[in-house]
Amino acid sequence: MDDYAIGVLTNIGLISFLALSAYLLLIAGEMSFGQQAFFGVGAYAGGMLTSMYGWPLPLAALAAMALGALAQFLVGLPTLRLRGLYFAMATLAAAEMARILFELFHFQRQVEGEPVGPDGSQGFRGIRWVFAHGVEPLEYMGIIYAMLALALAAFLLVERSRLGATLRGVGEDPQLAASLGVDVNRVKLGAAAAAGALAALGGVLYAHHNTYIEPRNFDLMLGVHSLAYALIGGLGTALGPLLGVVLDIGALEGSRIFHGYRMIVFGGLVALLLVWRPRGLLDERSVQWLKRRFS
Amino acid sequence: MTDLAQNTLDGLFLGSSYALLALGFTLIFGVLRRVNLSFGPAIMFGCYAATWVNLNFGVGLMALALITVAGAVLAGAYVERLCFAPHRNGSPIAAMVASFALWMQFEELATIALPRHIYDFPPLHGGTPLEFGGLMLRVESLVMLLAAIVMCAVLWGILYRTRFGVALRAVIDQPQAAQLAGIDVPRVFVLTFALASAIGGLAGFLIAASHEQVTPMLGMWSTLKGLLAMMLGGLGSLPGAVLGGLALGLLEAHSQWFLGPQYRDLLAYLLLFVLLAARVPWMTTRSAS
Repeated sequence: MDDYAIGVLTNIGLISFLALSAYLLLIAGEMSFGQQAFFGVGAYAGGMLTSMYGWPLPLAALAAMALGALAQFLVGLPTLRLRGLYFAMATLAAAEMARILFELFHFQRQVEGEPVGPDGSQGFRGIRWVFAHGVEPLEYMGIIYAMLALALAAFLLVERSRLGATLRGVGEDPQLAASLGVDVNRVKLGAAAAAGALAALGGVLYAHHNTYIEPRNFDLMLGVHSLAYALIGGLGTALGPLLGVVLDIGALEGSRIFHGYRMIVFGGLVALLLVWRPRGLLDERSVQWLKRRFS
Repeated sequence: MTDLAQNTLDGLFLGSSYALLALGFTLIFGVLRRVNLSFGPAIMFGCYAATWVNLNFGVGLMALALITVAGAVLAGAYVERLCFAPHRNGSPIAAMVASFALWMQFEELATIALPRHIYDFPPLHGGTPLEFGGLMLRVESLVMLLAAIVMCAVLWGILYRTRFGVALRAVIDQPQAAQLAGIDVPRVFVLTFALASAIGGLAGFLIAASHEQVTPMLGMWSTLKGLLAMMLGGLGSLPGAVLGGLALGLLEAHSQWFLGPQYRDLLAYLLLFVLLAARVPWMTTRSAS
């Protein structure tokens, strides 16, 4: 595999975490414009722990996930009772605040005689754990996909379980779910925390892949893209968001066929696709159809 | 004291451009109950069309204004057909994501037509600012404020003095009853979209002329500021849009002066977040799910 292919595949894997995170909230009935913030929280926290304090990456990733979950839990606490656009705007506001706070965040310490750490809008360079431990790009891609496979397995398990049915019930009709004895707020907060952890895990892996991050990486565009990936891929299965990412980054950017016109082609295709399939390619109906076909 | 007065003045001028953007946004939202993320990018498309014509043929200011408005309306019509007409009774999220997809198209189209990052846009006046007892007044700002006031008056006239206005208000208040009363609801949708895009186009022209430049960022900027001002004033409310725009302008002007641009944006988002979380009554009364 050449470097370009590895680069594209790694990107697909990294952005998939964010798309899955947006998907989880969509299933729970909420549209978030702000998942990029938790991706950013994970990237900064994980990067700081490995490069400034010498933590091993797995431990730093766990800590960053916990922080991402906590951050989204705290944002969700006052906002998850809001519906539709109100929740979307609240998450947008929270995420833009986070991005500006990254720009204001200067915190460096001397590591081996050099200042390391976030330097406001100058960014945060020197997240070298992967490089310093001799992990090859192909190997690192393997790690990313192993993590992604774990996340997917968890999704597929949950979707088959009672919890999955509860989650979809809350998303489809919260009042009905509540009347059946479901604690809607608790389910949503749980989903939000899980979505935050997932986004943060993606962020940690992203930071260690790039070795350099800056606040601009975590702007609104990233968040709306991940939302779009989840929706065009389909809300019927956790494989949907992945399909969305693969279609855009893999098929259009990776193939370089529409070089220079990618967004025009992709944008038009997405709008047309949504006319035909408002809940994405792999929506509930096509998932049912596939299940009947192959079981 | 002079600073305070100057900032308040600047804030009102800035706020009037936000008010125009929010008016367009809230018209679309009020009627369709859908968020058009492509509202700003359609405005940017209009500004880019005017800049392109200006670079190639060199036309006058009036022509530029007309081209900007026409471009924004054209782009708006495209968005309406592709993103909102098909999802009229369907999913609001699908409509919104579709409008985001077209945003990507407008942005790429703009950078293909005019690949440099920044292009000059001719100013309205270009001379030195006027001075009034120590206060500086830019001609562009005055025109902006004037345009906002005139647009409000025109809009009020349309809404309360024409048959279309009655139909539009009926659709905002009771879409189903309006349909039953024989109002051609799809036609109201299309006309509202055109009206909102025209207001947006005018705002875009004035903003480009007062910044004396256009960049592809104008799309995101207009969408974000318009959304913020609309949310602050209450979704779907026309007076709310004006008040929200002015409030946002005042907040930004003062916080920029005292705290700098980063804290200015931080404060605006913080205000939105806190008001939403507190569920203040004027903001969260309308159904937006």
